[in-house]
Amino acid sequence: MKVFKHDTWVKPYIKKYKGLLTSVLLLGLLTSFCAAALMFTSGYTIDKAATHPVNILLIYVPILLTRAFGIGRPTFKYIERLKSHNWVLKVTSNLRTRLYTTLESDASFFNEHHKAGDIMGLLSEDINHLQNLYLRTVFPTVIAYLLTLIGSLALGIYTPAFGIFVFLLLVIEVAVVPFVSVVIENNRKERQKQLKSSLYTKLTDNILGVDDWIISGRFKDFKNLSAKDVDELNASKDKSKSFKRNRDFILQLIFAAIAICFLIFTNLTMTDNQEQANFVAAVVLSLFPLSDTLIPVSQGFEEWPQYRDSIERLNKIQPVKNELPEQVDLMPNDFKSLDLNDVNFEYSSDSPILIKHFTQHIKKGEKLALLGPSGIGKTTILQLILGDLTPQTGDIKINDIDIQSIQKNRDKIFSVLNQKPFLFNTSVINNVRLGNENRSDSDVIEAIEKVGLKDLIESLPDKYNTNVGENGARFSGGEQERIALARILLQDAPIVLLDEPTVGLDPITENNLLNTFFDVLQDKTIIWVTHHLQGIKYVDHVVFMNDERIEMQGSPEELYKNNEHFQELYKMDQGL
Amino acid sequence: MIDKRLFRLPGTKQLLIVLAGLTLLQAFVVLFQGKYLAEALVNSWNQKALQTIILPMTLFAIAFILRHLLNLINNKIVENYASKTSEKIRSQLLDRVYEAGPSLLSEKGTGNIVTASLDGIDLIENYFKLIFTKLMNMTFIPPVLLIYIYTQNIASGITLTIIVPLVILFMIILGLAAQAKADAQYHQYTILSNHFLDALRGLPTLKMLGLSKRYAKNIYTVSDEYRRRTMNTLRIAILSTFALDWLTTLGIAILAVFLGLGLINNSLPLFPALVTLILAPEYFLPLRDFSSDYHATLDGKNALGSIFSILEKDDTKSEETDLKKLTWNEDSKLEVDNLIFNYADGQNNHDASLDIKQIQLNGYQRIGVIGKSGSGKTTLIRTLGGFLNPDKAEIKVNDQSINSLKQRTWQDELAFLPQSPYLFSGTIADNIAFYKPNATEKEIQYASEKAGLKDFMETLPEGYQTVIGEGGRGISGGQQQRIMIARAFLASDRHILIFDEPTAHLDIETEYALKKPMEELFKDHLVIFATHRLHWIKEMDYVIVMDSGKITEQGTPDELSNHNGAFNQLINNMRGDQL
Repeated sequence: MKVFKHDTWVKPYIKKYKGLLTSVLLLGLLTSFCAAALMFTSGYTIDKAATHPVNILLIYVPILLTRAFGIGRPTFKYIERLKSHNWVLKVTSNLRTRLYTTLESDASFFNEHHKAGDIMGLLSEDINHLQNLYLRTVFPTVIAYLLTLIGSLALGIYTPAFGIFVFLLLVIEVAVVPFVSVVIENNRKERQKQLKSSLYTKLTDNILGVDDWIISGRFKDFKNLSAKDVDELNASKDKSKSFKRNRDFILQLIFAAIAICFLIFTNLTMTDNQEQANFVAAVVLSLFPLSDTLIPVSQGFEEWPQYRDSIERLNKIQPVKNELPEQVDLMPNDFKSLDLNDVNFEYSSDSPILIKHFTQHIKKGEKLALLGPSGIGKTTILQLILGDLTPQTGDIKINDIDIQSIQKNRDKIFSVLNQKPFLFNTSVINNVRLGNENRSDSDVIEAIEKVGLKDLIESLPDKYNTNVGENGARFSGGEQERIALARILLQDAPIVLLDEPTVGLDPITENNLLNTFFDVLQDKTIIWVTHHLQGIKYVDHVVFMNDERIEMQGSPEELYKNNEHFQELYKMDQGL
Repeated sequence: MIDKRLFRLPGTKQLLIVLAGLTLLQAFVVLFQGKYLAEALVNSWNQKALQTIILPMTLFAIAFILRHLLNLINNKIVENYASKTSEKIRSQLLDRVYEAGPSLLSEKGTGNIVTASLDGIDLIENYFKLIFTKLMNMTFIPPVLLIYIYTQNIASGITLTIIVPLVILFMIILGLAAQAKADAQYHQYTILSNHFLDALRGLPTLKMLGLSKRYAKNIYTVSDEYRRRTMNTLRIAILSTFALDWLTTLGIAILAVFLGLGLINNSLPLFPALVTLILAPEYFLPLRDFSSDYHATLDGKNALGSIFSILEKDDTKSEETDLKKLTWNEDSKLEVDNLIFNYADGQNNHDASLDIKQIQLNGYQRIGVIGKSGSGKTTLIRTLGGFLNPDKAEIKVNDQSINSLKQRTWQDELAFLPQSPYLFSGTIADNIAFYKPNATEKEIQYASEKAGLKDFMETLPEGYQTVIGEGGRGISGGQQQRIMIARAFLASDRHILIFDEPTAHLDIETEYALKKPMEELFKDHLVIFATHRLHWIKEMDYVIVMDSGKITEQGTPDELSNHNGAFNQLINNMRGDQL
């Protein structure tokens, strides 16, 4: 329960939409009540009828009630399910907005903290887990507890001792057994999770590495790779299953004990006269439908470890307070130069210094290419220029304004195009329009034409309304780059940062794409991170970085003439 | 509901027989449980003393316990069967992956296969449990109870008999209505439900475009729209459960009323009435249980179906003549004539099918394969590597004729260096020694020095024992390629090297640095090298130019560059404008 101590993702939301929440719990309770009452009135009807009352009207009321409860149970259950989903989905909308705004506040989140894996998928899955936490654990448990209390009280008013006794048995059923089983299963479940993730790694090794396995001829090793994990996982799961079977059996035994108590109790206390005895079957039979409410509590508890992880992960994400200096309005047209003066940067004090004494002066309209081995900090320089990262020493200025002072309207100054530009799962035209939402359809189409996609897109059945698919999958890598380029054209910022936009493309596609880039971005200032020398003639200035310093720089023509190493590289690149 | 292929799984028939026996037994125990409870209640109603109900009460308790004990045994048997069988399926799936290899993967997607072999298997296990237990319960328990109820009171028996088809009819009608409604909304629905994840993944982009702050409102609006639509669909979707609930509870209510009237009319005594009332919910229980897990059942059925489709996919295994023991040397020769390879429909390949007249590879030649993307380069080298089985081919290794290179003896001669090498989770030493797991530390060191890994290894505190791959230390593309080169150096008994764009994604200086060790590796090897990096072409003795799956030109680089053909055209396109 430590999990909830500092929780801000579950507790606060229980107070939301109180009316709806109360009605959900009430309806759940009513459903159980009707189920019990149906058997109660049915039992009474039969017992009473068996006394052959002279007047048929005497059983008319119980008959009517029987019908009412018979209809009431499914109806309440139906409404309860709808209302509970409605509540949960309302809360989900809030949770999603909150997760989004929290992540939005942390620009560096995407760069450093969470490089590994599909953290976004994980987080959005976590919110789905919270939905299930409410629907499958919280609601059923609260309803079962309310039922236990109310049922025991009702019996207690009649016979206090019996009420207390039944209450104790019910507590074992809905609280003791579930809690104990969570405690017992906790470690096992934890271990199973580890095994499962290790198994996932190994199966991935099997499947993604299958080429190497086949060539190596190591079939036995291939099969045995996951065998140990599988065996241990299955053994552990078997234990869990066996535990669960036994637990369910014990729950039934307790329920049987309660039933026997009811039989004895009714026989002892309700057989003084016929009128009382008519209620015997009613009381005993009303108990049985309640097992539907009481026994699943343990099942709900069992899912707890899964929810706990989600709650913990969500709570770890904290909004980041950006303390920006006073913001200055810089008109895009006023941009004159971008200066990096003796910039030094390290991610943290114990990691090596990544950027050392980096200085560049970039004038308006200038095109600069940045090269160097991977991991040398080329992308980091782009992030420093954007102001997402701040250098430890040195400064980065636009005109004479510190980069941190123009963050508010940064999108007016900078455009960015990545290696894998993100396209939203909507139409082409909507994706491009994101560059500037105020522009007309014809402006958007003009941009698409400029990047050379007009013919392709107009040949598609849905034309500009064609959906790009998840992550733009409908289009090839080069086409995705072009769509993103059209978006940037609409954005119309004076500085464009290109982060290896052509890596992974074949040279012909690459040539064509670079051609388009530098053609349509003619009047922009471009800082282009690239991995080889294809298209290097388009730039005014080339900077080669290595892990110590700037290794060489200058205009490509100059370097080719004067620098032997550059010449060698260029010749290799061009196959000369 | 049930996949017929299920019955072909080993042990299913025995399992069904055992389950049938147990469930039948359970049906009678349920019957006795109701009967003795009714007896005890009748005695209490007659205001008899506690002693008179002790016997029926005890028998009730025994029946109740026995029922759940049988349930426990039943579950145990099914769960054991399910975990054993699903494990067997997982193992078969891996066999398939190894056997059919990359062509299977490209067809189904690697992600799908990993998911199928992990989550899919869990779904299947669950499916076995549900389908066997719940179907058995539905088959045996209601009929036994119904027959008994007929013997007690015919009218009640008839009532209960009529309700079941009604329930099923309603469920089908409402189920179809819900399906229609869901289908109509499906497209919008998936977009809405994926919208949030899409927005999270696109958050950096939104930020760059200056839209991220405003977009938060959009998240709420779309999420709420999703809620509205979900509720609309849900209202109809859960109607079928409602109908089931409604008909069964109403059935009990009607039964109670009939029985009450019958009792007043003196047409039957209390016991049969009470026992009927007690057994009525038990009669409906299996049906309700079954329908509540219906969706889980469907998921499992789909998972099983997709795995079966992988397992059953027929292998185009032609009669293979086994290649005799082979050591490739400078006099060896591989001839391939009339090679036809077509990708199967739906196979998500980005490369052309092959139709090749003739190729000849000799001794320690270096053969470059070039062509624009999608020209069939990759398909060709994968066929030569024996990863793909050609539809038709006349292949001659030295003087032995075979019809496919998918042969152990052939692959024992190969080392393969792809564009993005796959590093296994394990130590660097394990990865280097992948073709030769018994290699000594010294051999590994020697090989990695030749591959130029020495400096890098010295920066690692744990050296060769550094764990890489998933969750391990990230390794740059250049070092990954060096590890692959070291692997090839170590496997000195493999004389054929196949490269697929090994340096295309590397930065130029890393590529430059890699040239030396790679040229060293080329020595005394047959090299088959697919590339679109121009400088490699100069290193080749012979070049094959591909277009649309056909060879448009082949010859030595000098020959080809001397006349204006496909080779020169391609080179010019790739090179672009120069400084």
